[in-house]
Amino acid sequence: MHILLIEDDINAAHYVIKGLKESGHVVDHASDGEIGLDMALSSSFDVMVIDRMLPKIDGLSLIIKLRQEIIRTPILILSALGEVDEKVKGLKAGGDDYLAKPFSFSELLARIEVLHRRTNPDTEETFLKVGNLSMNLLSREVHRSNIKIDLQPREFRLLEFLMRRSNQVVTRTMLLEGVWEYHFDPQTNVIDVHISRLRSKIDKPFNENQMLFTERGAGYALRSDD
Amino acid sequence: MINLFRLTSFRLIFIYTILLVVSVFLIAFYLHLSTARDLKNRVDEDIIKESKMLIRVYQRGGVNRLARSIAQLSQIPNANLYALRNNNNDIVAGNFKDKESLWNLKRLDDGWVSFSSNRNQESINESLLMREQFFRGKEFILQGSFNLIIGRDVSNEVYLWKRFLTNIFSATFFVLILGLFGGFVLSRNILSRISAINRTSIEIMDGDLSQRLPIGSINDELNQLSINLNMMLDRLNKLMTGMKDVSDNIAHDLRTPLNKIRTNLEVTLMSNPTSENYKNTIQEVIQDIDVVINTFNSLLAISRVESGSLSLDKEKIDINNLIENVIDLWEPLAEEREIVLTNQTDRNIELDGNMNLLSQAISNLIDNAIKYGPNGNRINVGAKLEKDHVVLWVSDNGPGILESDKERVLERFTRLDTSRNTQGTGLGLSLVSSSIKFHNGKISLLDSNPNGLIVKLELPKSF
Repeated sequence: MHILLIEDDINAAHYVIKGLKESGHVVDHASDGEIGLDMALSSSFDVMVIDRMLPKIDGLSLIIKLRQEIIRTPILILSALGEVDEKVKGLKAGGDDYLAKPFSFSELLARIEVLHRRTNPDTEETFLKVGNLSMNLLSREVHRSNIKIDLQPREFRLLEFLMRRSNQVVTRTMLLEGVWEYHFDPQTNVIDVHISRLRSKIDKPFNENQMLFTERGAGYALRSDD
Repeated sequence: MINLFRLTSFRLIFIYTILLVVSVFLIAFYLHLSTARDLKNRVDEDIIKESKMLIRVYQRGGVNRLARSIAQLSQIPNANLYALRNNNNDIVAGNFKDKESLWNLKRLDDGWVSFSSNRNQESINESLLMREQFFRGKEFILQGSFNLIIGRDVSNEVYLWKRFLTNIFSATFFVLILGLFGGFVLSRNILSRISAINRTSIEIMDGDLSQRLPIGSINDELNQLSINLNMMLDRLNKLMTGMKDVSDNIAHDLRTPLNKIRTNLEVTLMSNPTSENYKNTIQEVIQDIDVVINTFNSLLAISRVESGSLSLDKEKIDINNLIENVIDLWEPLAEEREIVLTNQTDRNIELDGNMNLLSQAISNLIDNAIKYGPNGNRINVGAKLEKDHVVLWVSDNGPGILESDKERVLERFTRLDTSRNTQGTGLGLSLVSSSIKFHNGKISLLDSNPNGLIVKLELPKSF
């Protein structure tokens, strides 16, 4: 993946570049808004990671300019302003996701990968398939190896979220935001219980390979069983 | 004195004293002057009237008739003074006997004269024997070398004037002394109180925060100021103590997981690890560090809500929907612990508020009820409308909270488990409390029957 990082904090940039390179990605780095805009306009990237506060041109204006130039590259906004309001502003300006500093690298990586894969908008699909697990979004039915699985509404939404991001690590925060629309992290890890419940429905009854994995210290991943 | 003049109170009193003295002096002086002028005018009119009459007598009947008239007039009680002198300055008629005194007449305008005598008393008033008398009169030169003086004793007026002058000066002096003394005493009183306040302030600045300003028995402005400053100090002291407790607790709560991480890393390093061991340890360390980060995040969230720096969105919230969603989040965990989680919310309750903060508050309360209660606990969440308030509650049959701990648990880092062994940051209830404060609501902790805790939140429908 070719990633453009526009970040003026040298330490943070260094840490992100190192992590992304080790994960096998190519990273270009710009340290202010002006250089960043030039780079974004002159070559194409898979994902852009843009800091909210930048010298010369601030992050939001930069995103607005890029969107005006009809550049549709997915954009992840980084910011120390971890407020819901700021998040809304960032997304309205044309960002695709928002991550508040300080963040863990696994969270950033998971979000970048999800952004990259999200080529098809969520709404247009009516049928999801991961390995032999399938989900019909119209009839709201889930099957694995042609056996119907009964899911409660919330379990259905959780599975849908995971299926749309299959073979990628999804963090706890991403699940809380995406499935429950909560922008806080409960002290106790409740998500774990939801995941193990879901696992007991989609993995346990089937004498097949495990699909739903817990990645320690990172999050969860739904992997195809073939 | 230099010190005194620098004091506002003394300066003011001094200026007012001077002003008072000057105005009293001026008013008295004016009153006296106008009365004296009236008296003098009456005397003058009287003299002029008599002189006209006597001059006519003289013109008609000569010196002898005049002398007779004068003698007659002198018989009248409280009569004027008359002195008819001849060429040799001898008094030939009249009731004025002291001819020497007439040798040095003081001649004023228009024939008016003034003179004094101390040898003419007995004839007029025996009681004023020793006193020098003052007269005012008019001198007429008559044809045939006679000289007539008609006068009036004005001693009383003169003495009155003199006494008035001495009195007004001594009174002025007295008022001035009294004013200055009063000012001095008053200022010294205020000065001593202000320097007491100053002394205490310096002691407080030097670090003795337990000091309080002295409070007097009279409830004046200065006292009110001291009382208010003391209240301010109390509040600051409480905040400082709170800060100290919080930082002590942060230190403690950070040291524990950091020690755990360190031990874990040390043990792994000593045990000749395989790469699989490394991986496991690193994963454990990440989880432990997440706990620390979580603590900081909660702390930041609380201070953001409390400082109000958060320009939080407010929206119409369907309370039933909100509670339903939070219960949905916790249901699986509750079920795992055989806890019955029920929702008793009335339908169609709406509230203006911040969705995220309220969800987190309810979530934290359910979290606590599950965490600190036994398996098989019953947790009931609900809400109802009471006038313009929405009352929300989370009740359980857990161990409850002692009356003495109820206020404390809302503070940051309070954990009733003193060994701090159970999971948790001690920030959950603080965050609930500050969220409720943000919504202008009230939180109360009540005992449940027969045991357990009811957390009751009262929120205004709109704020």
